Amino acid sequence: MLNKKAFEFSFSWIFAIIVGAVMIFLAVYAASQFVKTSQLSQDTQLGKELGIILTPIETNLETGKITTISTQNDIRIFNDCQLQGAFGSQKISIAAKSLNDEWSKQGLPSSFHNKYIFSSSIMEGKEYFVFAKPLEMPFKIADLIYLWPSQEQYCFINPPSEIEDEISELGINISLVSSLSECMKDSKKVCFSSSGCDIDISLNSGLIQGSAKKKFSERVYFDSPALLYASIFSDPEIYECQIKRLMKRTSELSWLYYSKSIFLTPKGCSSNLELELSSYANKTFSINNSFNLRDVYSISQNIRRKNNDLSCKLF
Amino acid sequence: MICRVNYSKRAQIKIQQMAFVLVALVIFLAIVSLFYFSISLSNLRKSASSLQDQEAGELVRKLTSTPEFALTSRDCSHCIDMDKVFLLKQRKVYDGFWNLDFLQIKKISEDKLECDNTSYPKCGAITLIDKEQIGSPKSAFVSLCYWAKEKGGYLKCELGRIYASGKEIK
Repeated sequence: MLNKKAFEFSFSWIFAIIVGAVMIFLAVYAASQFVKTSQLSQDTQLGKELGIILTPIETNLETGKITTISTQNDIRIFNDCQLQGAFGSQKISIAAKSLNDEWSKQGLPSSFHNKYIFSSSIMEGKEYFVFAKPLEMPFKIADLIYLWPSQEQYCFINPPSEIEDEISELGINISLVSSLSECMKDSKKVCFSSSGCDIDISLNSGLIQGSAKKKFSERVYFDSPALLYASIFSDPEIYECQIKRLMKRTSELSWLYYSKSIFLTPKGCSSNLELELSSYANKTFSINNSFNLRDVYSISQNIRRKNNDLSCKLF
Repeated sequence: MICRVNYSKRAQIKIQQMAFVLVALVIFLAIVSLFYFSISLSNLRKSASSLQDQEAGELVRKLTSTPEFALTSRDCSHCIDMDKVFLLKQRKVYDGFWNLDFLQIKKISEDKLECDNTSYPKCGAITLIDKEQIGSPKSAFVSLCYWAKEKGGYLKCELGRIYASGKEIK
């Protein structure tokens, strides 16, 4: 009656199996977490390094520079622009491709208050082109950094001579052609005097001023060559956010020059620009989108003209 | 009636043995992982701090081209507008802008006096950021230019140094 023809497992066996399974599970879990954490730490480090190596690319007296950034493996660069704080911030994070061809989780973002990167919000590749140009409105506001993957080819159709000369002089890898058919098939086409391209640029006659419209995106506005490049290389959302950040900095710089003007007047270096500078500071602070750039253009030009006429220049 | 279960003493000892081995194994693994994590954490801290130093070094080289510092009225690539920097010190909105723990502009002179409204420009240094704990600051030589009111007013430039130290990793 007692013989039930069953296996007899001693307690020690059951105990060993359960504890063994738990330990193997914990070991596998810890190993996978460890790999993820070290990948996250590597990507975070790479993001910070990228931000640091962009610093020497910024300009001194020269008007622009082109540099190539290469990595061993494919990486994704995430460009994020935030408006919190007095100057907003530029956030960069990286995700690398692992050995099994899968993308790792995005690293922790590195934050910079003094950088303005104009690019797509997500880029992918091993090699990237970086190009920097100062923005002057009318004094230098910041160096704008344009970033794009090398596999993304740009083709400019009938650009203004000023842009054409600059691209040729700096050796930027952008095709300059006179008709749409001359562009490479997979390139991003930028039309300057026609429409139907990936990016259509409308220019006011004789000036590097106007608007840019990307397919399926909102139109953005620019009033200088530096912002024209920015509108081409960046996503409209990034562009609008960076414009707001730049205008916050313009406002603060205007207040700084306003203080300088008051400070130097008793020392025999009077500029009489206080009124214009305070008005410029207030207007630039309240700019909400690139369309409003035209509201400050005339004040900026007026300040530039008056400053140029001064014997003791403010900037 | 009293029921008594007869446990084998040998089996009890075996179970106890296994439990002790498991406890010892867990403690050993915990110590090894603690040791490993403390080393990797210190390496991470080291690399983060070296990145901050690198950032400070790059920044110190490029600070002369920053609009808040640059002397833009002349074509001078390594000139700092001291008037602007002196006024910048009073603008609290720039707190945290450069991600540094220490930022100072110093004249190469005997004068160590910190510039204020009464001493400027006859003073030795303008300290823009000065946190309690700073690492080893990076430095670069620059020209410090300011408007001097003597002789009818002129732009006077002196040799100076700029010091910057990255944020301390806590």
